[in-house]
Amino acid sequence: MPETNGSPTESAIHFQDLTVRFATPAGDIHTVVEDITLDIDDGSFVAVVGPSGCGKSTLLNVAAGLLVPPKGNVLIFNEPLQGINKHAAYLFQQDALLPWRTVLENVRLGLTFRGVGYAEATDEAEKWIARVGLAGFEDRFPYQLSGGMRKRVAIAQSWIVDPRILLMDEPFSALDIQTRQNMENELLSLWLENRKTVLFITHDLEEAIALADKVVVLSAGPAHLKGVYDVDLERPRDVIEIRMDPKFTRLYQQIWADLRDEVKRSYDESR
Amino acid sequence: MSLDRVAADRGIAISSTRKHTSRWVILALQIFTFVFIVLVWEFGARLGYIDEFFFSKPTDIAALIYKWFATGFIWLHLGTTLLEAFLSFVIGTILGIIFGVALARIDLLCAVLDPYIRILNALPRVILAPIFLIWFGLGLTSKVALGISLTFFVVFFNTLQGVREVDNVILNNARMLQASDRQLMRYVYMPSAMSWILSSLHVSIGFALIGAVIGEYMGSTHGMGYLVAQAQGLFNTTGVFAGLIVTSTLVLAIDMGIIRLERYLLRWRPKH
Repeated sequence: MPETNGSPTESAIHFQDLTVRFATPAGDIHTVVEDITLDIDDGSFVAVVGPSGCGKSTLLNVAAGLLVPPKGNVLIFNEPLQGINKHAAYLFQQDALLPWRTVLENVRLGLTFRGVGYAEATDEAEKWIARVGLAGFEDRFPYQLSGGMRKRVAIAQSWIVDPRILLMDEPFSALDIQTRQNMENELLSLWLENRKTVLFITHDLEEAIALADKVVVLSAGPAHLKGVYDVDLERPRDVIEIRMDPKFTRLYQQIWADLRDEVKRSYDESR
Repeated sequence: MSLDRVAADRGIAISSTRKHTSRWVILALQIFTFVFIVLVWEFGARLGYIDEFFFSKPTDIAALIYKWFATGFIWLHLGTTLLEAFLSFVIGTILGIIFGVALARIDLLCAVLDPYIRILNALPRVILAPIFLIWFGLGLTSKVALGISLTFFVVFFNTLQGVREVDNVILNNARMLQASDRQLMRYVYMPSAMSWILSSLHVSIGFALIGAVIGEYMGSTHGMGYLVAQAQGLFNTTGVFAGLIVTSTLVLAIDMGIIRLERYLLRWRPKH
């Protein structure tokens, strides 16, 4: 529900009765997301889990302004969203760096597009490259980097513009498990510095609980809101150690009970 | 350009399991093939197995080419052809890119012009040579017009495809980073189309030269096509072959320049 003015937490993203349908190539109408109403507080880290193909990414694309929903409203900081969401940065699941630009040029991009001068943008980009641990790699092209390094560049690229909202679409799913856990920890420490609003999509419940303040469970397609869980685990967290916390295990069991049916339903339907 | 490179440019995979022969062995075999053909031709002609009247012979051709360059006779013709080909290549390429980008970005324009472009492309454009001669006369303009009509479509279709094939994720990422339409064009569409455009240049430089030479062949007062036409009129096969060899060497030299340009512009791509 939208927060009333004067309440301590402002709403960053508000979905109201959101429904998204696509026309399939065969001419049928395919409903991906149905009647979702969800509020995401400013400064909170919200993870969305659901069976694969349930429309999690659709939710993110709507919040980004890349997809206009046929029905329902999206409010960003209490204002209706029109066009691309200017408050948001998007971290994609796939490689989204410009392959024909160097690391430095890629990180600088958001500033260049906003008309920031060359020297200032370069300075800022160099700081961010160092911050994600890639100092010395400024002149490499993306193909010369490992998957994890490319992700770091992508993080620097999206955070350099100091967005108020971070949208992340399974950003680490293509990485190997060690790189992934390192990246999750780095993400958390970057996030703790200024607590932006994060909407994080994942199919991995462990990742969701380890990272988020709140876990949203979606049902198998068409996606409905199945449940919202508060994650009251201490911060700062270490994504590996926190998995051994009894509270973590309890939460996991509780949410999994909800998610299991949906995963099974989605699997049965796709068989 | 090796055949493997041609295959790779067209996106045909080359099996990595295939055994690699050393560069030098390949080069030696290539030279051997050349020498072998030349020798067979030369001695075939000298011994009377090959009719010199129809096929000439390598030593005569080499001697004539040498004479052309030694006397400086060739420069005016070569220069003329080169200028015509260069102008049609540059103008055709620029027009091709402009139209390709415009039609890829503006759907209405594409829908309206689509049938006309198909018709023009289906037209065997060499047939246009006589009409261009009537319109623009025997000079440079008619050759350049013919060259443009040939190069334009190659570059145009490749640009159109290149702009349309842009990776959606990369495009959305740039949009999320607040790129304006202009910036999208400069940072995303153009570089993405560049590999398509560059590979079309190999074909279009050949076409530009074909345009120039055919134009000259049909009616002109100098140029490589004029030389070949003159030689043919006198049943001088040596002259025809010499003209062909000089012209194709020219295309090869220019193509090498394009390969260098390509390597620089596409340095962001993984080497294979």
